[in-house]
Amino acid sequence: MTDAVAMTNERNQIFRDLFSGKTPKRVPISNPATQDFAIQYAGLDLAECQWDLTRLEPVYDKFCQDFFTDTYPGGSIRIPSHYQILGSTPIVMSSSGFMQHPEVVGLLAEEYDEFIASPYDCIVEKILPRLFTELNGAPGKVAMALAKAMRAQSDDLAYLGTIRAKMNAKYGYAAMIGALTEAPFDFVADFLRSFKGISGDVRRYPDKVAAACEAVLPLLIKKGTLPSPGMLGYTFIPLHMAPYLRDKDFATLYWPTFKKLVETMAGMGQNVQLFVEQDWMRYLDYLYELPENTIMRFEYGDAKLVKEKLGKKHIISGFYPITLLQTGTKQQCVDKAKELIDVLAPGGKYWFQADKSVINFEAKGPVAENMSAVLEYVHENGTY
Amino acid sequence: MKTGLTKLVGGEDKMDSKYYATWEEYLAEHPELEGKPEHAISPKIQKYEDAMFVFIMDLLL
Repeated sequence: MTDAVAMTNERNQIFRDLFSGKTPKRVPISNPATQDFAIQYAGLDLAECQWDLTRLEPVYDKFCQDFFTDTYPGGSIRIPSHYQILGSTPIVMSSSGFMQHPEVVGLLAEEYDEFIASPYDCIVEKILPRLFTELNGAPGKVAMALAKAMRAQSDDLAYLGTIRAKMNAKYGYAAMIGALTEAPFDFVADFLRSFKGISGDVRRYPDKVAAACEAVLPLLIKKGTLPSPGMLGYTFIPLHMAPYLRDKDFATLYWPTFKKLVETMAGMGQNVQLFVEQDWMRYLDYLYELPENTIMRFEYGDAKLVKEKLGKKHIISGFYPITLLQTGTKQQCVDKAKELIDVLAPGGKYWFQADKSVINFEAKGPVAENMSAVLEYVHENGTY
Repeated sequence: MKTGLTKLVGGEDKMDSKYYATWEEYLAEHPELEGKPEHAISPKIQKYEDAMFVFIMDLLL
C-alpha cells in the first residue's frame, strides 16, 4: 500500500467517524481557499485559466503541496464556458476574472401561480429564457445553445474530475463525493424573485411564497440526492435569506420546507452539510431540531453558545474568520485557531473549516503564509 | 407526462412536468421499445433524463 493510499484510508476513517458522531483520531481539516485563489497563487491569469482548464493541473499540484488539508481543495461549479454559451445574466465573469452573481429576477410576481402549478415547466418555459438570452428565441437556436452548453459543462467537469483524481491519488485526500441543493425559500429568492423581490413578497403574498416553497421542494430533494446514500460524502446546502427575515416569517415561510428537505436527506441515509451564512444565533433552537449529526458550518455568531446548545447533537464547523488572515500576524492567526479548537473540539463533532471561502490572493499580502500556518497548527495540535 | 419525483415527500404528484419523465413514463410514450432489452435501455435513458435535470437546476443555484 502506498503512503497516499494509506493516507486516504486514514482520512476516510476520520470522516466516517465524524459523520457518524464518533470522536475521530484528530480534528479533520479543510483548506478554505478556492480555485480562484489557487490560480492567482500560481501567478496565472484567472480568466485565462478558467477558460483553458489544461492550465490547472500544475496550479492544483502547487496548491496541494503548499497547504495542508484532508479534503480536496479548490473546486468550482462556476465554470465560464457554458454560462457564456447560454448568454447568462445571473452568473457573469467580471473584468478581473471572478464569476459573479448580479441581482436578477427570473420569475415575475404575477407568475407565482404558474410556478406553483408546475415549477419545473415554469423554470424551462419562463425563467430560463428570461435569465439566459440564448434560451430565448427560435426553438432551433435554443436547442443548439442548450446542446453546446451541456456538452461544454460536461467536458469541463470531466477534465476537473481528472485533475481531482490525480491529486487525490498523489496527496491521499479523503475520497468524498458531494451534491448541491438549496433551501426552498432561498431557491425562490436567489435567481427567481431576487433579494429585493422576495423581501416584498413575504409581506404582500406570504401564502404564495409558502406554496412556491412547497411546490419546488421535490425538485430540490432530487437535486440534492447522492448517487448512493451510503457513499462517503454529503449534500451541501448554503443558507442565505433567514437572517434577513422576521422571526414569524422564518417560522412560517423558511423553516417548514427547509426542515423537510434536511429530514428527507437524512432519512435516505445521507449526510447534510449546511453553510449557515451570516448570523443565525436567534435560530439555534430551530437548528437543534434537525436530524442528529447534521453538519453546520457557521459564518458568524457565538462559537461557545453554539457548542453548548448544538454541539452534543450536531457536527459544528466554521467560525474561523478569514479576514484575520489578511489583517492579523501569524501568531494572532494561530492563536485564533487554538481558541476555536479549545471551544469546539472537546467531545468530537468538530470539523475545522473557515467562516467563508478565501478567493483572492495578493502576492505581497500575508494571507498565504498565515493560512499555511493555521492549517499546519490545526493538523499538529488537533489530535484527540 | 407525469413523474414519480414527489413520492419522496409523501406521494403527492406536484411536478407534473412535460420536461422530465421516469423510465416508466418514457416507455409508455415509446411503444417502439416494447420487447427491446429494457435492462440495457432504461438506465441509459434515465441517466440522460437526470443529467438534463441536474444541468437545468444547476443554472439556478
